[in-house]
Amino acid sequence: MGRIKSILRYLLLSFGVALLIVACNTPQPNAQQESQTNQTQKVEVSNENQININTAILSELDKLESELNIPALSDKIQANRPYGSTEDLVTKNVITSEQFEKIKNQVTVREIALTGVAKDVDYLTKLGLMKGHMMVAEELLDLNKPKQADPHLGHPVEEIYADIEEQLNDRQVTQFSNVLTGVQELVKSNPKSPQVKTNFNRAMEAIENAIAALPESERKSPTFVLKAINGILDVAAYEYKAAIHDGKIVEIIEYQDSRGFVEYSKDVLYKNIAPELSKIDPKANEQLKTDLEELFKAWPSPIAPKQAVLSPETVTAKVKSIGKVSRSIT
Amino acid sequence: MSDSFNQISRRQLIKLGITGVGIAGTAGIVYGCNQSQVNKQKLQAAKIPPLPENAPQINQDYHPMKLLRDFDYGKVKQENGRTVREFEIVAETTTLQLNSAVSYIAWDYNGRVPGPTLRAKEGDRVRILFLNKGGHAHTMHFHGEHPVTMDGVKAVHNNKATIYEFDAEPYGVHLYHCHIPPVTRHITKGLYGMFIVDPPQDRPPADEMVLVMGGYDINDDNKNELYAFNGIPNYYKQYPIPIYQNQLIRLYLLNIIEFDAAITFHLHANFFDVYPTGMTLKPSVTADDITMGPTERHILEFAYRYTGKFMFHPHQDLIAESGCMGYFDVLPQTS
Repeated sequence: MGRIKSILRYLLLSFGVALLIVACNTPQPNAQQESQTNQTQKVEVSNENQININTAILSELDKLESELNIPALSDKIQANRPYGSTEDLVTKNVITSEQFEKIKNQVTVREIALTGVAKDVDYLTKLGLMKGHMMVAEELLDLNKPKQADPHLGHPVEEIYADIEEQLNDRQVTQFSNVLTGVQELVKSNPKSPQVKTNFNRAMEAIENAIAALPESERKSPTFVLKAINGILDVAAYEYKAAIHDGKIVEIIEYQDSRGFVEYSKDVLYKNIAPELSKIDPKANEQLKTDLEELFKAWPSPIAPKQAVLSPETVTAKVKSIGKVSRSIT
Repeated sequence: MSDSFNQISRRQLIKLGITGVGIAGTAGIVYGCNQSQVNKQKLQAAKIPPLPENAPQINQDYHPMKLLRDFDYGKVKQENGRTVREFEIVAETTTLQLNSAVSYIAWDYNGRVPGPTLRAKEGDRVRILFLNKGGHAHTMHFHGEHPVTMDGVKAVHNNKATIYEFDAEPYGVHLYHCHIPPVTRHITKGLYGMFIVDPPQDRPPADEMVLVMGGYDINDDNKNELYAFNGIPNYYKQYPIPIYQNQLIRLYLLNIIEFDAAITFHLHANFFDVYPTGMTLKPSVTADDITMGPTERHILEFAYRYTGKFMFHPHQDLIAESGCMGYFDVLPQTS
């Protein structure tokens, strides 16, 4: 019966299309546009190993930097975003046309599915941002500030979850958006409920499980984890800037967001790799440890101070310096 | 089965019916348009007074008096025989002095609230290079027709860029805004702008301008404390918009106010013709007050018989008195 239905549907559709074509025999600009639209979309198919110059993180762009042997090229590529086409690398004077010839097959501006290490770094970065939001939310709940905690419970599921949703099944992680939503809903409607703590812990556990799906070799690799740390710190620097006006902290949500990101990077991600890093590169390890401590001074408490302790420029400079040290480690 | 069969056939038939009427209707409109084209050629180009010198800019990218008539047609390219309009938009944070007491960290497109008024002709290809430098994830969600991949609900994270590309259709007054939740916060912070798609044949010449009604929730209590036309409360109250007497004014008007269910727009001492959502070539109604829900937008056309300063504002007077207030300064006709 299902088959009959689908045949009927097919016949009806073809009949409809035929009628439409007859009706559209008079010049129809839309029909022409349609075919051209499809043409353009076909061109968009891109090679899996290509680097998207609009979205790649610095360590990905480093491949181009080292191939062309241009110091700080990765930063320059990021600084000149957005690109409408790969040729914009030349028109925006990022590289010369001779240099472009050498790498043009490796770059794209089209959305590509990340693969391999880049995909895993992105995955850890997103989950790390979630954790950062949750950490600051927990601090605020402990201080009995459920209203202030609320947006930080919302951000993981509202801003970030969609980016990892599709990967979770492949990585054999149970979907957990309902767990995240559950905490926020409870805090909104009944913040004093003893269940808040249980729900919160369940959410933290769910994120932790998702992180644990990464291969252990990556989770324990200082260079791998540092890539995620730098992605997270980069967001923190922008959020911190968005919180401050005239030396005063005026947007407390953004202040708290950035606090959570730095706190998680420093107290969890970095701490996990510190022992290994101290063996590989003790000097870099010491430097990073000091830099992270210094950086965190910008966020003396979960409740925002009136006056900013560090200027946004100082925070950005410190984040950049942490990035530099991280990328020097091989 | 018979139920679903009926449903399908009915749906198909309705679709065909609509398409049939659509084609017939289009033909009628085009014909009507050709007729008025003849009259139009007799019309003179619009007369626009010089900008008042005392009206200040907010920053180098943001001058509310210039913004009124500032239409961004993009960088025009020809690709495969088609017109492509390429726009570059950066989401960022900008501190705005909303009045003498309130400085506010806005989230905006290209340093201004509303963002650039993007403009194309129906059927042009539109390509938007969007870069997020705002910290939070942001997007550009366009009203209008486009494939799902271009719907602008997928987060673009900090320091990343994406390309939105689609055909500009259908003609009308549309808009774009950030679609990251809580959308109320992303919109009230300033992430919105107008997207005008012109009909295939130009509308008659007029002094064209854009007014976007927005609200600011200064203390994150899900209520607006301040309101504004084009981002700065009371700007056009302090610096009236000069226009000429008897000159046809074409106003592209958008309500992007969050938290208030609907507001009105009232024009003093005059009536305007309404082209709903800018999707008609003939007005549907004439009024001096029109109710608009969130993201509702229209073209309003009018001309002033008398000179002098005339107010425009929502007739929720508290909203008007909280910043959503302006004047047209009607200057004597020049010969």
